[in-house]
Amino acid sequence: MILRPFEYVESKTMDDAVAALEAAGEDARVIAGGTALVPLMKHSILRPSLLVSIARVRGLAEITAEGAGGLRIGGIASHWTVSHAALVRERSPLLAYACGRVASPTIRSMGTLGGNLCYGESASDPSPALLALRATVRLHGPAGARTVPLTDFFTGFYETALRGAEVLTDIDVPAMPAGARWRYLKWTPRAQEDKALVGLAAMLVLDGRRCRVARLGLGGVAAWPVALTGAEQALEGQELDEATITRAADVAAGEVVPVDDLQGSAEYRRDMLRVWLRRVVSGLAEGGASSCPS
Amino acid sequence: MPLVKLAVNDRPVEVDAPGHWTLIQLLRDGLGLLGTKEGCGEGSCGACTVLVDGRLTRACLALAVRADGARVTTIEGVGTDAGLHPIQEAFVRGGGIQCGFCTPGLIMTVKALLEEYPRPTDHEIREFLSGNFCRCAGYTLILSAVRDAAGLPTEKR
Repeated sequence: MILRPFEYVESKTMDDAVAALEAAGEDARVIAGGTALVPLMKHSILRPSLLVSIARVRGLAEITAEGAGGLRIGGIASHWTVSHAALVRERSPLLAYACGRVASPTIRSMGTLGGNLCYGESASDPSPALLALRATVRLHGPAGARTVPLTDFFTGFYETALRGAEVLTDIDVPAMPAGARWRYLKWTPRAQEDKALVGLAAMLVLDGRRCRVARLGLGGVAAWPVALTGAEQALEGQELDEATITRAADVAAGEVVPVDDLQGSAEYRRDMLRVWLRRVVSGLAEGGASSCPS
Repeated sequence: MPLVKLAVNDRPVEVDAPGHWTLIQLLRDGLGLLGTKEGCGEGSCGACTVLVDGRLTRACLALAVRADGARVTTIEGVGTDAGLHPIQEAFVRGGGIQCGFCTPGLIMTVKALLEEYPRPTDHEIREFLSGNFCRCAGYTLILSAVRDAAGLPTEKR
């Protein structure tokens, strides 16, 4: 499969990239790893006349510690880098684990965390984790920089809050609370490199059996990645007994509008969300330490 | 037309590569290195896997211009005219090859696997090979050949 001709610009700085995007208008796309863009171009779903590369912008792949337990991750850090970085494993093991579940090792070494977010793909693995962690993204555009909470970033089916000529530069990941338990569950009905039919990221802080904090991010079920805020509220402040967990699962199943396609019907997705939310939350309530299922 | 300068299998080369070429076009059409195969052409099957600066790369998704200044290793750079690489020998010995189309991509992936995990667990082997499809479905003998290449017992542990 070959690509249609296009112009290509290698940006040295983020300002260069933004200027090139602004000059080209609607017809330009940003490229970093290319794992999302290139297949879409090969299928002529996207036909940009200009690709603006940010792959060689200095410092854009850096991962730095922020405050006591937070992280700032450069937009073009690869999934491989994020999942292997000692700093991420230590401060945000939920994110490291979720990035390690993206597709296969080769795609993880090419694809970037920022690029993954910018496509607004529902079945993204990092997105539910970053939603559960209440991450924010920094966008750089002609009017300067702005920050958007990830909960407001995904706006529709493959749609995001990115405006024309804006580029995602960083992902800010707040510290996980002390003693937080976490899990990312990726349910793929077929092979493990498939996209998630249910991708559920959970972070809980418990006081005995009482839930102090519940954060739930979901991919694969709805048309874009969402935080399950209703289910979070159904868990917080409650004893995590079977009745509470079942009620939270029902709230979750009611607060999403599932996709209905060949991978799974809306009803199946809703049922599987209910099943996996119950299993993940009761597993975290019972298991002592954080769990990292393989 | 951009002039892409890179090192392929430790040999410096310069290729006039149209800006919309992918790396696999540079390798096959520009340099005549036909060992790297194009399967799906959209990053799913792993047949075109090569190493760019030591990192696993799908040559069908990477743009050729991005390889400027890079060090690319293809199947032609694995082993020598005098003899096969130990990974290739293990695939031959164990019958980890049927039609052979997926083999170059598999060998490159296994090379990266063994550099990362010299004594991989079965889970690590399966994880690395999860992005390489063998449509002959010869997976059992492929897994066994990888264990052999790593100096591990070929029986499933």
